[in-house]
Amino acid sequence: MSQEPLSLEALLARFRYRADEEAGGLGELPAPSVEADRPEGVDELQLLTFGLGAVEYGVALGTVTEILRARKLTEIPRARPPLLGVLNLRGTITPVYDPSLRLGLPKNAPPCAGPDCPPPPRPARILVVRTALGPAGLWVDRVRGVQRVRPGALERPRSGPTGGVVGILPTLEGTCTVVDPEWLLR
Amino acid sequence: MSAEPQAVDVCAFWVGAVVYGIDVARVDEILPRVVPLPVAEAPAHVEGVVHVHGTAVPIVDLRRLLPAGTPPRTAKPKVILARIGRRRVGLRVDGMAGVRRYTPAEIRPGASVRGVLAITADECRLLDLHELLAERAAPRRPGL
Repeated sequence: MSQEPLSLEALLARFRYRADEEAGGLGELPAPSVEADRPEGVDELQLLTFGLGAVEYGVALGTVTEILRARKLTEIPRARPPLLGVLNLRGTITPVYDPSLRLGLPKNAPPCAGPDCPPPPRPARILVVRTALGPAGLWVDRVRGVQRVRPGALERPRSGPTGGVVGILPTLEGTCTVVDPEWLLR
Repeated sequence: MSAEPQAVDVCAFWVGAVVYGIDVARVDEILPRVVPLPVAEAPAHVEGVVHVHGTAVPIVDLRRLLPAGTPPRTAKPKVILARIGRRRVGLRVDGMAGVRRYTPAEIRPGASVRGVLAITADECRLLDLHELLAERAAPRRPGL
């Protein structure tokens, strides 16, 4: 405040809110703009991140049509490991697969098909993805959420099998491997 | 300015044992519980930032900028989401003291404390947020 006394009118003018007043000094504070401070023209990738065991994975959000709470599946006699069972999704028979086999993880999904199986763990979810052959389900241990990333934020995998791996996203907790859901089901 | 002096609507709040006020037109929202995310290298009076409807808003603890005391026992701490120009800032206060209307005759200039523009007849101190939040030499939070 200046040292000379201001008139009451001038004081009230400083007190009152104007939309065009300058936000002096606030520039030093972290970006509090009213508008979204996302630069335009940058294509963002939306990833649905989920966990299998202790590992985090992500798929492009557009490929996932639905996320279901894991439920008891209908067993298929002599079904081979990636196939866990089938699900009646509003009249469409939907096969549900365990993606951990394809990802080289130890067998992950508990027995979850048939009338005698225990109820699935609470955080488990089934991601329904679109494929050329119709909808298919992926059994995951938990769903983290949707993450918006710039395509440049994805890193190339440095070693190991890279087929189906779109990229690796460094996260606060570790890494998130972004995979192609079609490859998981192939 | 018109000949008829305009009344002033004030959103009043407690900081310590004193009632302060800002223009009600500045107030967007009053949030009951806010847990800010600390920011490295921020001035000591900036608690951190919070997400409010998708934008990051800094939270300023007015108790560290204004002379504090013991607030009345009935006061419930709040965060006032206020506008300064097109920016927004959250002000942590000790409690709300209602919306009051003053005529200019009830307001007398008085600036014993930095950031205070005027005092009303019932001892509500009107704040100049620009002045209060302007850059100042203050100890900064160390890097996290």
